[in-house]
Amino acid sequence: MNIIERIIADKARVPSVKAKDEITVPVDLVMAHDVTGPMAIEQFYRIGTAKVFDREKVVFVIDHNIPSSSVDSRLQHNTLKKFYREMGVKLYHQGDGVIHQLVAEEGLYKKGDIIVGADSHTCTAGAFGAIAIPVGATEMAAVMALGTIDIEVPATYLIEVKGSLNPGVFAKDVILYIISKFGTGGFTDTAVIFGGDAIRRMSYDEKMTISNMAIEMGAMISYVDQGDDIGEVEETFAIDASEIEPQVACPYSPGNGRPVREVEGTPISQVIIGSCTNGRLSDMEIAARVLEGKKVADTVTMIVVPASKRIAQQMDEKGFTKIFRKAGAIVVNPGCGPCFGAHQGLLCEDDVAVSTTNRNFPGRMGHKKAKVYLASPRTAAESAIAGYIVNSESHLQRGVD
Amino acid sequence: MEKVKGCVFFLGDDIDTDQILPGYAMSVPASQLGQYALKGSSIPDFVEKVQSGDVIIAGRNFGCGSSREQAPEALKQAGVGAIVADSFAMIFRKNSINIGLPIITSECIDELKKDISEGDVVEVDIEEGKLLHVKSGKTYELNKLSPQALAIIKAGGLINRVREILRERGELDDH
Repeated sequence: MNIIERIIADKARVPSVKAKDEITVPVDLVMAHDVTGPMAIEQFYRIGTAKVFDREKVVFVIDHNIPSSSVDSRLQHNTLKKFYREMGVKLYHQGDGVIHQLVAEEGLYKKGDIIVGADSHTCTAGAFGAIAIPVGATEMAAVMALGTIDIEVPATYLIEVKGSLNPGVFAKDVILYIISKFGTGGFTDTAVIFGGDAIRRMSYDEKMTISNMAIEMGAMISYVDQGDDIGEVEETFAIDASEIEPQVACPYSPGNGRPVREVEGTPISQVIIGSCTNGRLSDMEIAARVLEGKKVADTVTMIVVPASKRIAQQMDEKGFTKIFRKAGAIVVNPGCGPCFGAHQGLLCEDDVAVSTTNRNFPGRMGHKKAKVYLASPRTAAESAIAGYIVNSESHLQRGVD
Repeated sequence: MEKVKGCVFFLGDDIDTDQILPGYAMSVPASQLGQYALKGSSIPDFVEKVQSGDVIIAGRNFGCGSSREQAPEALKQAGVGAIVADSFAMIFRKNSINIGLPIITSECIDELKKDISEGDVVEVDIEEGKLLHVKSGKTYELNKLSPQALAIIKAGGLINRVREILRERGELDDH
Protein backbone atom coordinates (compact mmCIF):
# COMPACT_ATOMS: atom_id res chain seq x y z
CA MET A 1 0.00 0.00 0.00
CA ASN A 2 1.12 3.55 -0.57
CA ILE A 3 0.74 6.34 1.99
CA ILE A 4 -2.73 7.35 0.74
CA GLU A 5 -3.98 3.76 0.87
CA ARG A 6 -2.42 3.23 4.32
CA ILE A 7 -4.22 6.26 5.76
CA ILE A 8 -7.55 5.16 4.25
CA ALA A 9 -7.13 1.55 5.42
CA ASP A 10 -6.14 2.64 8.95
CA LYS A 11 -9.15 4.93 9.22
CA ALA A 12 -11.53 2.31 7.81
CA ARG A 13 -10.00 -0.33 10.13
CA VAL A 14 -9.33 -2.80 7.35
CA PRO A 15 -6.02 -4.62 6.75
CA SER A 16 -5.55 -3.20 3.26
CA VAL A 17 -7.15 -1.31 0.40
CA LYS A 18 -6.25 -0.88 -3.25
CA ALA A 19 -7.32 1.42 -6.06
CA LYS A 20 -10.96 1.04 -7.15
CA ASP A 21 -12.05 -0.56 -3.81
CA GLU A 22 -15.36 0.86 -2.61
CA ILE A 23 -15.04 1.66 1.07
CA THR A 24 -16.78 3.53 3.89
CA VAL A 25 -14.41 5.78 5.84
CA PRO A 26 -15.03 7.66 9.12
CA VAL A 27 -14.57 11.41 8.85
CA ASP A 28 -12.61 13.57 11.33
CA LEU A 29 -13.80 16.97 10.13
CA VAL A 30 -16.67 18.05 7.88
CA MET A 31 -16.89 21.66 6.79
CA ALA A 32 -18.73 24.10 4.56
CA HIS A 33 -19.03 27.84 4.04
CA ASP A 34 -21.79 30.37 3.48
CA VAL A 35 -22.52 29.58 -0.19
CA THR A 36 -22.41 25.77 0.04
CA GLY A 37 -23.50 25.28 3.65
CA PRO A 38 -27.13 26.41 3.36
CA MET A 39 -27.86 23.84 0.62
CA ALA A 40 -26.19 21.15 2.74
CA ILE A 41 -28.32 22.16 5.72
CA GLU A 42 -31.49 22.06 3.62
CA GLN A 43 -30.59 18.53 2.49
CA PHE A 44 -29.69 17.56 6.06
CA TYR A 45 -33.18 18.56 7.23
CA ARG A 46 -34.66 16.44 4.42
CA ILE A 47 -32.91 13.40 5.91
CA GLY A 48 -34.96 13.97 9.04
CA THR A 49 -32.40 13.02 11.68
CA ALA A 50 -32.38 15.06 14.86
CA LYS A 51 -28.65 15.71 15.20
CA VAL A 52 -25.31 15.77 13.42
CA PHE A 53 -23.01 12.79 13.98
CA ASP A 54 -20.60 14.81 16.17
CA ARG A 55 -21.08 18.52 16.68
CA GLU A 56 -17.38 19.04 17.49
CA LYS A 57 -16.47 17.79 14.03
CA VAL A 58 -18.90 19.89 11.99
CA VAL A 59 -17.63 23.38 11.09
CA PHE A 60 -19.12 26.25 9.14
CA VAL A 61 -17.18 29.33 8.11
CA ILE A 62 -18.74 32.47 6.66
CA ASP A 63 -16.07 33.58 4.22
CA HIS A 64 -17.50 33.99 0.72
CA ASN A 65 -19.85 36.95 1.11
CA ILE A 66 -18.55 38.71 4.18
CA PRO A 67 -19.84 41.22 5.12
CA SER A 68 -22.95 40.14 3.21
CA SER A 69 -22.96 41.33 -0.39
CA SER A 70 -26.71 41.03 -0.93
CA VAL A 71 -29.91 40.36 0.97
CA ASP A 72 -29.84 36.78 -0.32
CA SER A 73 -26.29 36.26 0.94
CA ARG A 74 -27.33 37.54 4.38
CA LEU A 75 -30.08 34.94 4.38
CA GLN A 76 -27.37 32.32 3.83
CA HIS A 77 -25.46 33.63 6.87
CA ASN A 78 -28.57 33.41 8.97
CA THR A 79 -29.26 29.85 7.82
CA LEU A 80 -25.82 28.87 9.16
CA LYS A 81 -26.38 30.79 12.41
CA LYS A 82 -29.71 29.05 12.96
CA PHE A 83 -28.12 25.64 12.38
CA TYR A 84 -25.32 26.58 14.79
CA ARG A 85 -27.87 27.40 17.49
CA GLU A 86 -29.92 24.27 16.86
CA MET A 87 -27.12 21.72 16.49
CA GLY A 88 -24.26 23.21 18.49
CA VAL A 89 -21.84 22.87 15.57
CA LYS A 90 -18.82 25.17 15.22
CA LEU A 91 -19.39 28.47 13.42
CA TYR A 92 -16.94 31.20 12.42
CA HIS A 93 -18.85 34.26 11.23
CA GLN A 94 -16.89 37.35 12.24
CA GLY A 95 -14.56 37.71 9.32
CA ASP A 96 -12.22 35.12 10.80
CA GLY A 97 -10.83 34.01 7.49
CA VAL A 98 -11.09 31.76 4.48
CA ILE A 99 -12.20 28.29 5.52
CA HIS A 100 -9.07 26.42 4.37
CA GLN A 101 -6.72 28.82 6.11
CA LEU A 102 -8.84 29.06 9.24
CA VAL A 103 -9.26 25.34 9.92
CA ALA A 104 -5.48 24.94 9.56
CA GLU A 105 -4.72 27.84 11.92
CA GLU A 106 -7.27 26.66 14.46
CA GLY A 107 -5.73 23.18 14.44
CA LEU A 108 -9.06 21.53 13.66
CA TYR A 109 -7.30 18.64 11.92
CA LYS A 110 -3.97 16.86 11.93
CA LYS A 111 -1.81 14.71 9.71
CA GLY A 112 -3.57 11.51 8.70
CA ASP A 113 -7.09 12.86 9.30
CA ILE A 114 -9.94 12.46 6.81
CA ILE A 115 -11.57 15.80 5.99
CA VAL A 116 -14.70 16.32 3.93
CA GLY A 117 -15.39 19.86 2.71
CA ALA A 118 -18.13 21.38 0.61
CA ASP A 119 -15.60 23.44 -1.30
CA SER A 120 -13.32 22.33 -4.07
CA HIS A 121 -10.20 23.83 -2.46
CA THR A 122 -10.59 21.54 0.55
CA CYS A 123 -7.50 19.85 -0.92
CA THR A 124 -5.38 22.64 0.66
CA ALA A 125 -5.18 20.47 3.81
CA GLY A 126 -3.04 17.96 1.92
CA ALA A 127 -0.14 20.30 2.73
CA PHE A 128 -0.26 18.94 6.29
CA GLY A 129 -0.74 15.29 5.33
CA ALA A 130 -4.51 15.14 5.75
CA ILE A 131 -6.71 13.34 3.23
CA ALA A 132 -9.15 16.09 2.26
CA ILE A 133 -12.04 15.25 -0.03
CA PRO A 134 -14.17 17.88 -1.77
CA VAL A 135 -17.92 17.24 -1.99
CA GLY A 136 -21.15 19.01 -2.90
CA ALA A 137 -23.98 19.97 -0.60
CA THR A 138 -25.93 16.71 -0.64
CA GLU A 139 -22.91 14.55 0.16
CA MET A 140 -21.96 17.02 2.90
CA ALA A 141 -25.44 16.52 4.37
CA ALA A 142 -24.99 12.75 4.23
CA VAL A 143 -21.63 12.99 6.02
CA MET A 144 -23.09 15.30 8.70
CA ALA A 145 -25.72 12.64 9.37
CA LEU A 146 -23.59 9.50 9.14
CA GLY A 147 -20.07 10.62 10.10
CA THR A 148 -18.70 8.56 7.23
CA ILE A 149 -18.11 8.93 3.53
CA ASP A 150 -18.29 6.27 0.82
CA ILE A 151 -15.35 6.55 -1.54
CA GLU A 152 -13.73 4.64 -4.33
CA VAL A 153 -10.04 4.37 -3.42
CA PRO A 154 -8.24 6.44 -6.06
CA ALA A 155 -5.17 5.51 -8.06
CA THR A 156 -2.17 7.46 -6.72
CA TYR A 157 0.34 9.43 -8.78
CA LEU A 158 3.53 11.10 -7.58
CA ILE A 159 4.86 14.39 -8.96
CA GLU A 160 8.43 15.02 -7.88
CA VAL A 161 10.05 18.42 -8.29
CA LYS A 162 13.78 17.92 -7.95
CA GLY A 163 16.67 20.33 -7.64
CA SER A 164 16.85 24.06 -6.97
CA LEU A 165 14.24 26.58 -8.05
CA ASN A 166 15.47 29.56 -10.05
CA PRO A 167 15.53 32.98 -8.35
CA GLY A 168 12.13 34.66 -8.67
CA VAL A 169 10.32 31.31 -8.90
CA PHE A 170 7.80 30.69 -6.13
CA ALA A 171 5.41 27.89 -5.12
CA LYS A 172 2.70 29.47 -7.28
CA ASP A 173 4.95 29.34 -10.33
CA VAL A 174 5.67 25.68 -9.61
CA ILE A 175 2.02 24.65 -9.36
CA LEU A 176 0.97 26.73 -12.41
CA TYR A 177 3.77 25.03 -14.35
CA ILE A 178 2.62 21.59 -13.16
CA ILE A 179 -1.01 22.29 -14.12
CA SER A 180 0.08 23.50 -17.57
CA LYS A 181 1.97 20.24 -18.07
CA PHE A 182 -0.82 17.87 -17.02
CA GLY A 183 -3.93 19.87 -17.93
CA THR A 184 -7.14 20.69 -16.07
CA GLY A 185 -8.39 17.12 -16.33
CA GLY A 186 -4.96 15.51 -15.96
CA PHE A 187 -5.59 13.82 -12.61
CA THR A 188 -9.39 13.52 -12.50
CA ASP A 189 -10.52 11.09 -9.78
CA THR A 190 -6.97 10.35 -8.61
CA ALA A 191 -4.77 11.07 -5.61
CA VAL A 192 -1.73 13.23 -6.35
CA ILE A 193 1.31 13.30 -4.10
CA PHE A 194 3.67 16.26 -4.43
CA GLY A 195 7.21 15.33 -3.51
CA GLY A 196 10.84 15.81 -4.43
CA ASP A 197 13.40 17.89 -2.57
CA ALA A 198 12.21 21.21 -4.04
CA ILE A 199 8.74 20.62 -2.56
CA ARG A 200 10.00 19.15 0.72
CA ARG A 201 12.13 22.24 1.35
CA MET A 202 9.10 24.51 1.05
CA SER A 203 7.43 26.18 4.06
CA TYR A 204 3.91 25.10 5.02
CA ASP A 205 2.60 28.33 3.47
CA GLU A 206 4.14 27.30 0.17
CA LYS A 207 3.00 23.69 0.48
CA MET A 208 -0.55 25.00 0.97
CA THR A 209 -0.25 26.98 -2.28
CA ILE A 210 0.81 23.81 -4.11
CA SER A 211 -1.82 21.57 -2.54
CA ASN A 212 -4.58 24.17 -2.99
CA MET A 213 -4.47 23.97 -6.77
CA ALA A 214 -4.44 20.17 -7.19
CA ILE A 215 -8.18 20.41 -7.85
CA GLU A 216 -7.38 22.47 -10.96
CA MET A 217 -6.07 19.19 -12.40
CA GLY A 218 -9.23 17.39 -11.29
CA ALA A 219 -7.61 15.50 -8.39
CA MET A 220 -9.79 13.88 -5.73
CA ILE A 221 -7.02 14.00 -3.12
CA SER A 222 -3.87 16.08 -2.84
CA TYR A 223 -1.07 15.11 -0.50
CA VAL A 224 2.27 16.79 0.10
CA ASP A 225 5.06 14.38 1.04
CA GLN A 226 5.46 14.44 4.83
CA GLY A 227 8.73 12.50 4.80
CA ASP A 228 7.05 9.12 5.38
CA ASP A 229 7.56 6.16 3.08
CA ILE A 230 5.40 6.96 0.06
CA GLY A 231 5.22 3.39 -1.20
CA GLU A 232 4.17 2.14 -4.57
CA VAL A 233 2.31 4.54 -6.86
CA GLU A 234 0.68 4.17 -10.25
CA GLU A 235 3.24 6.41 -11.94
CA THR A 236 5.89 8.93 -10.97
CA PHE A 237 6.51 12.13 -12.92
CA ALA A 238 9.83 13.89 -12.33
CA ILE A 239 10.20 17.60 -12.98
CA ASP A 240 13.55 19.38 -12.96
CA ALA A 241 13.06 22.49 -10.80
CA SER A 242 15.51 24.45 -12.92
CA GLU A 243 13.25 24.25 -15.98
CA ILE A 244 10.52 26.27 -14.20
CA GLU A 245 10.36 29.98 -15.01
CA PRO A 246 7.98 32.49 -13.37
CA GLN A 247 4.55 31.56 -14.71
CA VAL A 248 1.20 33.13 -15.43
CA ALA A 249 -1.92 31.14 -16.27
CA CYS A 250 -3.41 33.06 -19.17
CA PRO A 251 -7.17 33.49 -19.70
CA TYR A 252 -9.37 31.50 -19.47
CA SER A 253 -8.00 28.43 -17.71
CA PRO A 254 -5.67 27.64 -14.80
CA GLY A 255 -4.13 25.16 -17.23
CA ASN A 256 -2.92 27.92 -19.59
CA GLY A 257 0.36 28.44 -17.78
CA ARG A 258 3.12 30.15 -19.77
CA PRO A 259 6.40 31.83 -18.84
CA VAL A 260 5.67 35.40 -17.74
CA ARG A 261 8.19 36.72 -20.30
CA GLU A 262 5.87 35.61 -23.12
CA VAL A 263 3.15 38.05 -21.99
CA GLU A 264 5.36 40.70 -20.39
CA GLY A 265 4.09 44.17 -21.22
CA THR A 266 0.38 43.25 -21.31
CA PRO A 267 -1.45 46.30 -19.87
CA ILE A 268 -3.53 45.57 -16.76
CA SER A 269 -6.26 47.37 -14.82
CA GLN A 270 -6.54 45.36 -11.58
CA VAL A 271 -4.30 43.33 -9.28
CA ILE A 272 -5.50 41.03 -6.53
CA ILE A 273 -3.21 39.59 -3.88
CA GLY A 274 -4.72 37.09 -1.49
CA SER A 275 -7.09 34.09 -1.29
CA CYS A 276 -6.69 30.55 0.02
CA THR A 277 -4.00 30.12 -2.64
CA ASN A 278 -1.73 33.07 -1.83
CA GLY A 279 -3.16 35.11 1.04
CA ARG A 280 -0.77 34.04 3.77
CA LEU A 281 1.78 36.12 5.69
CA SER A 282 4.73 35.03 3.56
CA ASP A 283 2.81 36.01 0.41
CA MET A 284 2.03 39.39 1.94
CA GLU A 285 5.67 39.84 2.88
CA ILE A 286 6.79 39.18 -0.70
CA ALA A 287 4.29 41.72 -2.03
CA ALA A 288 5.06 44.28 0.68
CA ARG A 289 8.79 44.16 -0.03
CA VAL A 290 8.11 44.87 -3.70
CA LEU A 291 5.67 47.70 -2.93
CA GLU A 292 7.59 49.39 -0.09
CA GLY A 293 8.12 53.03 -1.02
CA LYS A 294 6.50 52.49 -4.44
CA LYS A 295 3.16 53.45 -5.93
CA VAL A 296 0.61 51.30 -7.68
CA ALA A 297 0.26 52.51 -11.29
CA ASP A 298 -2.55 55.07 -11.57
CA THR A 299 -4.33 52.85 -14.11
CA VAL A 300 -4.46 49.91 -11.70
CA THR A 301 -6.87 49.08 -8.87
CA MET A 302 -5.01 46.91 -6.38
CA ILE A 303 -6.88 44.80 -3.83
CA VAL A 304 -5.18 42.96 -0.98
CA VAL A 305 -7.23 40.29 0.77
CA PRO A 306 -5.59 38.41 3.66
CA ALA A 307 -6.58 34.77 4.07
CA SER A 308 -7.42 35.17 7.75
CA LYS A 309 -7.90 37.64 10.57
CA ARG A 310 -4.75 36.36 12.21
CA ILE A 311 -2.78 37.10 9.04
CA ALA A 312 -4.38 40.54 8.83
CA GLN A 313 -3.24 41.25 12.40
CA GLN A 314 0.29 40.09 11.64
CA MET A 315 0.29 42.30 8.54
CA ASP A 316 -0.60 45.24 10.76
CA GLU A 317 2.14 44.38 13.27
CA LYS A 318 4.80 43.99 10.59
CA GLY A 319 3.80 47.20 8.82
CA PHE A 320 2.70 45.45 5.60
CA THR A 321 -0.82 46.90 5.72
CA LYS A 322 0.66 50.40 5.93
CA ILE A 323 2.98 49.70 2.99
CA PHE A 324 0.06 48.47 0.86
CA ARG A 325 -2.14 51.44 1.74
CA LYS A 326 0.66 53.96 1.15
CA ALA A 327 1.28 52.36 -2.23
CA GLY A 328 -2.37 52.91 -3.14
CA ALA A 329 -3.79 49.43 -2.59
CA ILE A 330 -7.19 48.71 -1.06
CA VAL A 331 -6.80 46.31 1.86
CA VAL A 332 -10.09 44.51 2.42
CA ASN A 333 -11.25 42.15 5.14
CA PRO A 334 -10.23 38.46 5.08
CA GLY A 335 -12.46 36.39 2.83
CA CYS A 336 -13.07 35.00 -0.63
CA GLY A 337 -14.70 38.09 -2.15
CA PRO A 338 -12.54 39.11 -5.12
CA CYS A 339 -11.68 35.53 -6.09
CA PHE A 340 -15.12 34.14 -6.83
CA GLY A 341 -16.85 37.03 -8.51
CA ALA A 342 -19.61 38.00 -6.12
CA HIS A 343 -18.26 41.24 -4.60
CA GLN A 344 -15.16 43.26 -3.68
CA GLY A 345 -13.78 44.05 -7.10
CA LEU A 346 -15.79 42.68 -10.02
CA LEU A 347 -14.33 43.21 -13.47
CA CYS A 348 -16.06 44.45 -16.59
CA GLU A 349 -15.63 43.43 -20.20
CA ASP A 350 -12.42 45.30 -20.99
CA ASP A 351 -10.64 44.71 -17.68
CA VAL A 352 -7.40 42.76 -17.44
CA ALA A 353 -6.35 41.52 -14.01
CA VAL A 354 -3.33 39.83 -12.51
CA SER A 355 -4.45 37.76 -9.55
CA THR A 356 -2.82 35.41 -7.08
CA THR A 357 -6.04 33.39 -6.82
CA ASN A 358 -6.72 29.96 -8.30
CA ARG A 359 -9.19 30.29 -11.18
CA ASN A 360 -9.53 32.44 -14.28
CA PHE A 361 -12.49 30.79 -15.98
CA PRO A 362 -14.72 33.03 -18.14
CA GLY A 363 -16.75 35.20 -15.76
CA ARG A 364 -14.94 34.03 -12.65
CA MET A 365 -14.39 37.61 -11.47
CA GLY A 366 -17.24 39.38 -13.20
CA HIS A 367 -17.82 39.87 -16.92
CA LYS A 368 -17.15 36.74 -18.91
CA LYS A 369 -14.86 38.59 -21.30
CA ALA A 370 -12.73 40.09 -18.50
CA LYS A 371 -9.25 38.59 -18.62
CA VAL A 372 -7.55 37.22 -15.51
CA TYR A 373 -3.90 36.14 -15.40
CA LEU A 374 -3.07 33.95 -12.41
CA ALA A 375 0.36 34.64 -10.96
CA SER A 376 2.58 34.63 -7.87
CA PRO A 377 2.40 37.51 -5.35
CA ARG A 378 5.78 38.68 -6.63
CA THR A 379 4.63 38.92 -10.25
CA ALA A 380 1.33 40.49 -9.17
CA ALA A 381 2.97 43.16 -7.00
CA GLU A 382 5.55 44.12 -9.62
CA SER A 383 2.87 44.26 -12.29
CA ALA A 384 0.76 46.53 -10.06
CA ILE A 385 3.55 49.09 -9.96
CA ALA A 386 4.29 48.89 -13.67
CA GLY A 387 0.68 48.86 -14.89
CA TYR A 388 1.51 45.93 -17.14
CA ILE A 389 2.59 42.33 -16.64
CA VAL A 390 6.20 42.19 -15.44
CA ASN A 391 8.54 39.24 -15.37
CA SER A 392 10.08 39.31 -11.89
CA GLU A 393 13.31 37.78 -13.11
CA SER A 394 13.89 40.72 -15.40
CA HIS A 395 13.59 43.05 -12.41
CA LEU A 396 15.98 40.91 -10.45
CA GLN A 397 18.52 41.31 -13.22
CA ARG A 398 18.02 45.06 -13.12
CA GLY A 399 18.94 44.96 -9.47
CA VAL A 400 15.62 45.95 -7.93
CA ASP A 401 15.89 43.16 -5.38
CA MET B 1 -36.35 3.89 -15.25
CA GLU B 2 -37.98 6.17 -17.80
CA LYS B 3 -36.03 7.18 -20.89
CA VAL B 4 -35.04 10.84 -21.32
CA LYS B 5 -36.31 12.42 -24.52
CA GLY B 6 -35.55 15.92 -25.74
CA CYS B 7 -33.64 18.25 -28.02
CA VAL B 8 -29.86 18.38 -28.14
CA PHE B 9 -27.64 21.28 -27.05
CA PHE B 10 -23.93 21.02 -27.80
CA LEU B 11 -21.15 22.34 -25.56
CA GLY B 12 -17.37 21.99 -25.84
CA ASP B 13 -14.52 20.82 -23.57
CA ASP B 14 -13.80 22.06 -20.03
CA ILE B 15 -17.20 23.64 -19.38
CA ASP B 16 -16.46 24.89 -15.87
CA THR B 17 -18.85 25.50 -13.00
CA ASP B 18 -18.57 29.31 -13.35
CA GLN B 19 -20.00 28.98 -16.86
CA ILE B 20 -22.74 26.65 -15.64
CA LEU B 21 -23.70 28.74 -12.60
CA PRO B 22 -21.77 32.00 -12.05
CA GLY B 23 -20.48 32.82 -8.56
CA TYR B 24 -22.84 35.76 -8.14
CA ALA B 25 -25.82 33.40 -8.51
CA MET B 26 -24.70 31.05 -5.73
CA SER B 27 -26.66 33.00 -3.16
CA VAL B 28 -30.03 33.21 -4.92
CA PRO B 29 -32.83 31.21 -3.29
CA ALA B 30 -32.45 27.53 -4.20
CA SER B 31 -35.75 27.45 -6.08
CA GLN B 32 -34.55 30.17 -8.50
CA LEU B 33 -31.25 28.57 -9.54
CA GLY B 34 -32.73 27.31 -12.81
CA GLN B 35 -32.94 30.89 -14.09
CA TYR B 36 -29.14 31.12 -14.11
CA ALA B 37 -28.30 27.83 -15.84
CA LEU B 38 -25.38 28.24 -18.28
CA LYS B 39 -25.56 32.06 -17.92
CA GLY B 40 -21.79 32.27 -18.17
CA SER B 41 -21.46 29.89 -21.12
CA SER B 42 -21.50 30.22 -24.90
CA ILE B 43 -25.31 29.83 -24.69
CA PRO B 44 -26.21 32.56 -22.17
CA ASP B 45 -29.86 32.42 -23.28
CA PHE B 46 -30.03 28.67 -22.60
CA VAL B 47 -32.80 29.15 -20.03
CA GLU B 48 -35.09 30.70 -22.66
CA LYS B 49 -34.34 27.90 -25.14
CA VAL B 50 -34.32 24.75 -23.01
CA GLN B 51 -37.38 22.56 -22.58
CA SER B 52 -38.00 19.79 -20.10
CA GLY B 53 -36.07 16.64 -21.01
CA ASP B 54 -33.50 18.30 -23.26
CA VAL B 55 -30.08 16.70 -23.50
CA ILE B 56 -26.65 18.35 -23.34
CA ILE B 57 -23.88 16.70 -25.33
CA ALA B 58 -20.44 17.96 -24.34
CA GLY B 59 -16.73 17.20 -24.55
CA ARG B 60 -14.08 16.45 -21.96
CA ASN B 61 -14.00 17.44 -18.29
CA PHE B 62 -17.56 18.80 -18.07
CA GLY B 63 -18.21 20.57 -14.75
CA CYS B 64 -14.59 21.22 -13.78
CA GLY B 65 -13.87 23.74 -11.04
CA SER B 66 -15.97 24.47 -8.01
CA SER B 67 -17.83 22.04 -5.75
CA ARG B 68 -21.01 24.13 -6.04
CA GLU B 69 -23.99 21.79 -6.19
CA GLN B 70 -25.89 24.82 -7.46
CA ALA B 71 -24.37 24.04 -10.89
CA PRO B 72 -26.07 20.67 -11.57
CA GLU B 73 -29.12 21.82 -9.58
CA ALA B 74 -29.53 24.82 -11.94
CA LEU B 75 -29.35 22.55 -14.99
CA LYS B 76 -31.85 20.15 -13.45
CA GLN B 77 -34.26 22.94 -12.56
CA ALA B 78 -33.95 24.44 -16.03
CA GLY B 79 -35.21 21.14 -17.41
CA VAL B 80 -32.07 19.30 -18.52
CA GLY B 81 -32.95 15.60 -18.64
CA ALA B 82 -29.47 14.17 -19.14
CA ILE B 83 -25.89 15.19 -19.91
CA VAL B 84 -23.77 13.04 -22.21
CA ALA B 85 -20.05 13.88 -22.34
CA ASP B 86 -16.58 12.49 -23.02
CA SER B 87 -15.81 12.88 -19.31
CA PHE B 88 -16.96 14.71 -16.18
CA ALA B 89 -15.02 16.36 -13.36
CA MET B 90 -15.34 14.34 -10.17
CA ILE B 91 -17.29 16.64 -7.86
CA PHE B 92 -19.75 17.65 -10.59
CA ARG B 93 -20.31 14.00 -11.45
CA LYS B 94 -21.01 13.04 -7.84
CA ASN B 95 -23.20 16.08 -7.23
CA SER B 96 -25.31 15.30 -10.29
CA ILE B 97 -25.87 11.73 -9.22
CA ASN B 98 -26.54 12.75 -5.62
CA ILE B 99 -29.37 15.05 -6.75
CA GLY B 100 -30.67 12.55 -9.30
CA LEU B 101 -29.55 14.32 -12.51
CA PRO B 102 -28.55 11.60 -15.01
CA ILE B 103 -25.07 12.13 -16.46
CA ILE B 104 -23.33 9.57 -18.60
CA THR B 105 -20.07 9.29 -20.52
CA SER B 106 -19.63 8.00 -24.04
CA GLU B 107 -16.80 7.13 -26.40
CA CYS B 108 -19.00 8.29 -29.32
CA ILE B 109 -19.02 12.05 -28.68
CA ASP B 110 -17.16 12.89 -31.91
CA GLU B 111 -19.58 10.73 -33.87
CA LEU B 112 -22.57 12.29 -32.12
CA LYS B 113 -21.29 15.78 -32.92
CA LYS B 114 -20.86 14.80 -36.58
CA ASP B 115 -24.19 13.00 -37.06
CA ILE B 116 -26.55 15.07 -34.94
CA SER B 117 -27.58 18.71 -35.41
CA GLU B 118 -28.32 21.07 -32.54
CA GLY B 119 -32.03 20.82 -31.77
CA ASP B 120 -32.44 17.26 -33.06
CA VAL B 121 -34.48 14.98 -30.85
CA VAL B 122 -32.70 12.15 -29.04
CA GLU B 123 -33.81 9.50 -26.59
CA VAL B 124 -31.40 8.52 -23.82
CA ASP B 125 -31.71 5.21 -22.00
CA ILE B 126 -29.61 5.72 -18.88
CA GLU B 127 -30.10 2.21 -17.56
CA GLU B 128 -29.13 0.46 -20.79
CA GLY B 129 -26.54 3.05 -21.86
CA LYS B 130 -28.01 3.86 -25.28
CA LEU B 131 -28.74 7.06 -27.17
CA LEU B 132 -31.22 7.02 -30.07
CA HIS B 133 -31.11 9.74 -32.71
CA VAL B 134 -34.81 9.84 -33.55
CA LYS B 135 -34.50 11.37 -37.05
CA SER B 136 -31.98 8.81 -38.37
CA GLY B 137 -33.00 5.91 -36.16
CA LYS B 138 -29.33 5.31 -35.34
CA THR B 139 -28.38 4.13 -31.86
CA TYR B 140 -25.14 5.07 -30.08
CA GLU B 141 -23.42 3.34 -27.14
CA LEU B 142 -23.06 5.14 -23.82
CA ASN B 143 -21.02 3.88 -20.85
CA LYS B 144 -23.36 2.40 -18.27
CA LEU B 145 -23.37 4.01 -14.83
CA SER B 146 -21.95 2.06 -11.89
CA PRO B 147 -24.58 0.05 -9.98
CA GLN B 148 -24.11 2.41 -7.00
CA ALA B 149 -24.69 5.53 -9.09
CA LEU B 150 -27.69 4.01 -10.82
CA ALA B 151 -29.17 2.99 -7.46
CA ILE B 152 -28.85 6.55 -6.15
CA ILE B 153 -30.48 8.02 -9.27
CA LYS B 154 -33.29 5.46 -9.08
CA ALA B 155 -33.83 6.20 -5.39
CA GLY B 156 -34.27 9.86 -6.32
CA GLY B 157 -30.96 11.00 -4.88
CA LEU B 158 -28.53 10.32 -2.05
CA ILE B 159 -30.74 11.72 0.70
CA ASN B 160 -33.20 8.87 0.34
CA ARG B 161 -30.35 6.38 0.60
CA VAL B 162 -29.06 7.99 3.80
CA ARG B 163 -32.57 7.74 5.24
CA GLU B 164 -32.53 4.01 4.53
CA ILE B 165 -29.20 3.58 6.33
CA LEU B 166 -30.34 5.55 9.38
CA ARG B 167 -33.63 3.63 9.49
CA GLU B 168 -31.70 0.33 9.52
CA ARG B 169 -29.63 1.65 12.44
CA GLY B 170 -32.83 2.67 14.22
CA GLU B 171 -31.63 6.28 14.26
CA LEU B 172 -34.45 7.72 12.18
CA ASP B 173 -37.80 8.14 13.82
CA ASP B 174 -40.12 8.98 10.94
CA HIS B 175 -43.19 6.94 11.77
